[in-house]
Amino acid sequence: MENVYVKPGNQERGWNDPPQFSYSLQVTHGPQRKLLNKRPSPATASVSDFSSFPGVLPTPPNSSNTAAPPMCGVAPPPLTQARPPADGVATPPPHAGPMKGQRGASSSQSEPELETVTLVLNKALDACRRAVKDQVCNDVAKRLRLLEESWRTDKLSLPVRRRMVLLASDVQAGRWDSADDLHRSLMVDHVTEVSQWMVGVKRLIAETRQLSPELLEPLHSVVPPVQDPDHQS
Amino acid sequence: MSTYQEFIQQNEDRDGVRFSWNLWPSSRLEATRLVVPVSCLFTPLKERPNLPPVQYEPVLCSRATCKAVLNPLCQVDFRAKIWACNFCFQRNPFPPSYAGISEVNQPAELMPQFSTIEYIVQRGPPTPLIFMYVVDTCLEEEDLQALKESLQMSLSLLPPNALVGLITFGRMVQLHELSSEGIAKSYVFRGNKDLSSKHVQELLGLTKPAAAAQQGRPYGKAKVLINPERMFLQPVHRVDMNLTDLLGELQRDPWPVPQGKRPLRSTGVALSVAVSLLEGTFPNTGARLMLFVGGPPTHGPGMVVGDELKTPIRSWHDIQKDNARHLKKATKFYEGLANRSAGNGHCIDIYACALDQTGLLEMKCLSNLTGGHIVMGDSFNTSLFKQTFQRVFSKDYNNDFRMAFGGVLEVKTSRELKVCGAIGPCVSLTSKDACVSENEMGVGGTNQWKLCGLGPSTTLGMYFEVVNQHNAPVPQGGRGAIQFVTQYQHSNTHRRIRVTTIARNWADANSQIQHIESSFDQEAAAVLMARLGVFRAESEEGPDVLRWLDRQLIRLCQKFGQFNKDDPTSFRLSESLSLYPQFMFHLRRSPFLQVFNNSPDESSYYRHHFVRQDLTQSLIMIQPILYSYSFHGPPEPVLLDSSSILPDRILLMDTFFQLVIFHGETIAQWRKAGYQEMAEYENFKQLLQAPLDDAQEILQTRFPMPRYVDTEHGGSQARFLLSKVNPSQTHNNLYAWGQESGAPILTDDVSLQVFMDHLKKLAVSSST
Repeated sequence: MENVYVKPGNQERGWNDPPQFSYSLQVTHGPQRKLLNKRPSPATASVSDFSSFPGVLPTPPNSSNTAAPPMCGVAPPPLTQARPPADGVATPPPHAGPMKGQRGASSSQSEPELETVTLVLNKALDACRRAVKDQVCNDVAKRLRLLEESWRTDKLSLPVRRRMVLLASDVQAGRWDSADDLHRSLMVDHVTEVSQWMVGVKRLIAETRQLSPELLEPLHSVVPPVQDPDHQS
Repeated sequence: MSTYQEFIQQNEDRDGVRFSWNLWPSSRLEATRLVVPVSCLFTPLKERPNLPPVQYEPVLCSRATCKAVLNPLCQVDFRAKIWACNFCFQRNPFPPSYAGISEVNQPAELMPQFSTIEYIVQRGPPTPLIFMYVVDTCLEEEDLQALKESLQMSLSLLPPNALVGLITFGRMVQLHELSSEGIAKSYVFRGNKDLSSKHVQELLGLTKPAAAAQQGRPYGKAKVLINPERMFLQPVHRVDMNLTDLLGELQRDPWPVPQGKRPLRSTGVALSVAVSLLEGTFPNTGARLMLFVGGPPTHGPGMVVGDELKTPIRSWHDIQKDNARHLKKATKFYEGLANRSAGNGHCIDIYACALDQTGLLEMKCLSNLTGGHIVMGDSFNTSLFKQTFQRVFSKDYNNDFRMAFGGVLEVKTSRELKVCGAIGPCVSLTSKDACVSENEMGVGGTNQWKLCGLGPSTTLGMYFEVVNQHNAPVPQGGRGAIQFVTQYQHSNTHRRIRVTTIARNWADANSQIQHIESSFDQEAAAVLMARLGVFRAESEEGPDVLRWLDRQLIRLCQKFGQFNKDDPTSFRLSESLSLYPQFMFHLRRSPFLQVFNNSPDESSYYRHHFVRQDLTQSLIMIQPILYSYSFHGPPEPVLLDSSSILPDRILLMDTFFQLVIFHGETIAQWRKAGYQEMAEYENFKQLLQAPLDDAQEILQTRFPMPRYVDTEHGGSQARFLLSKVNPSQTHNNLYAWGQESGAPILTDDVSLQVFMDHLKKLAVSSST
């Protein structure tokens, strides 16, 4: 689930910087689970009557032992009973630190992936050369080379590589919207790694999807890429 | 009472309106005695997933001075195919296309559930959206890199047909030609000399500006006659690769900054060139001018502070002592640009990220008058800026951008009402209609306003007056009506018209004052009065506004309170008003009316957001929400009071601008001791997690993204919470109470209890 994450904000530049959400978390439009906009009702909140405690005042399970040395002096919290959490909607837990891509983890595994990705994208580019201006195609080619180089020199993190495999698979299958969405999610989540060449991929998708079907034939004859085990469509 | 709550909620859900009074006093005199004017918060483009737009033109009243839109309040003669306008009573024939209508076959616009309805209209060829980036290059390396990446990322979020342009500036201003081939070219302007619009257009080879530079006409076609060699605004799909490279190669402004000096930043000329360019090429079509600055304007027209670091940028103290050299001139300069831009239908956003002020006080009109955003952060390399900026391009359930352009709002009223004005991100179109009142509240003297940039939460405060004479009979039909007609350009570039028609019953204040009282919407009234207060504060001295607000509150309590003369302890307020004094108490302490502890830029920023949000968010800003998490039960809202701060509770406070998670003393100690890591204390781990989960939903959707403060008892950032809660317990009264609950706040501020005491005394006094 590396596509769905919450990272802490940049604590060096803004000490109250909010957490950073992945693209997928920002785009979903589920019904609002909980609207935190209630105030205590006037009945319990007798603001002009200060002879009673406003609001609920529970007694703590252990008396507040405030003058406590760090570890042993504080009375511990109540032990876990079989009490479910207050609202049982699971959300992905925040990660303690920034996502670390497993760089160059298994280079023998990433090689075939790179080859398939570049194969698909270059085939798409070839298909475009018949209908699209040379200048544009050359620009795209330049960026695909940059992509290749970054990949080979282990500059791309695992999540980026994984998503590129999915993107290539989408391009090959003609799932243009999905490919476009993947490119966007990569630009939002990993702009530093991909900004140099991603616009070429974006343009490639945009141009390829407009080609007439016969020009797309060669694309379909590409050997199907290795399916990523975590593939989610 | 509960029925009014339901009525109020249903109306807000359906029509996007919240009125201060839902029963209207039938005479002018009685209306003024109610203290809070008949007014409403109106959200023109409220998100309505269940309201599919209709694909035909609205039917209008044929009277030239009326032109109201056919609506459910109109009387219809289905046999004769005639309808009577409910505003001017003119009888109008239906157009031929309505020949088939009958009682059982009614067009949508006549049905009560379509009191709000949206029409899609064809008005000439659709024009593309325009995004003009105006980028400050006097940034630190890290910041510039982060900003560049955000801009490159945004190109992927734009629709492919949108036009983009780029201006970069430092000491000089560079307008870049975007072509998809050849070498990069740009036009360079000196930053210290302002150029007239005409001059800029001549220099850029745009000397034949579009003939349709008709300001105020919402349907003006953009006849673009760009000289083909001058390619300043190009479609994204054509130039995205080149522009990405161009952005990637942007360097910090090359002019060296000597020790003890600020960089020379020519924001004024940069904006001037941008506004002139858009004016000359695309007047009257949706455009978004996005200004990114990392510091104040220090050079040329619109400079806010000089380049000597030893001269600090103006503070409130300086302004009050009339010691802000550049303030008047700079404000006037930016107001000129803002008005021009609004006239052209273009909105201006300001993204200001710096540790010190950037001149928002002087520049705020650029966004306030045009409906653009102001985003304020510490650095471009923060998630606050990056994600807030991403959310500018967020999409709705139809996969369309939430932003809309070129809004024109017109208000019609039945003859017993007149329009006094509006407060929100708009400019007046100075239209002189019969329903325009001579008394102005907010932006008045008109019944039409322009909202160049707007979104689904953009909300205007609209103020009315009852003009019926005292003792005149209650008007026939017993109901007053108001129609809001909003024409705008949808983000898919097509034009739409949204029509909302509402009615409320008239009531004779002499015999029905209790009913009128129970129709009071204290939440709406609080926000509407607050907007009036902020409007005054921006044009008057501070203390006067508080005095005015207090006076209104006392008068309201005198009118509606139940009490025995001169007996404060007898004072009671009915349920429909019981929370109102509390809202006023918190409003008086809020950063919207208190400038203490905020820089002029911060005050401008807070006020900017306050006068455009919907009711729920505005109320959060006035009186923050506080939720408590503990082992004693599910999370619950608690009073915004120092007594809510307890050792064994976690508090989540939402002020709209900040989300504060405060761990009570015992919780903090447990956390420090690491109990959450132990398996047998799993529930403690869950307790710690619960407020974070709830905060997430707010963090994921709110615009702008709030700051996120995780603090605990004794922490320095606890001050965010301590300064907001009602200090019912302070060092002054700690021992008088003899209680140990809650944390005393070290302040001399008046508490709500003391405030209420004073209020009651003044309300019941026969001498006030």
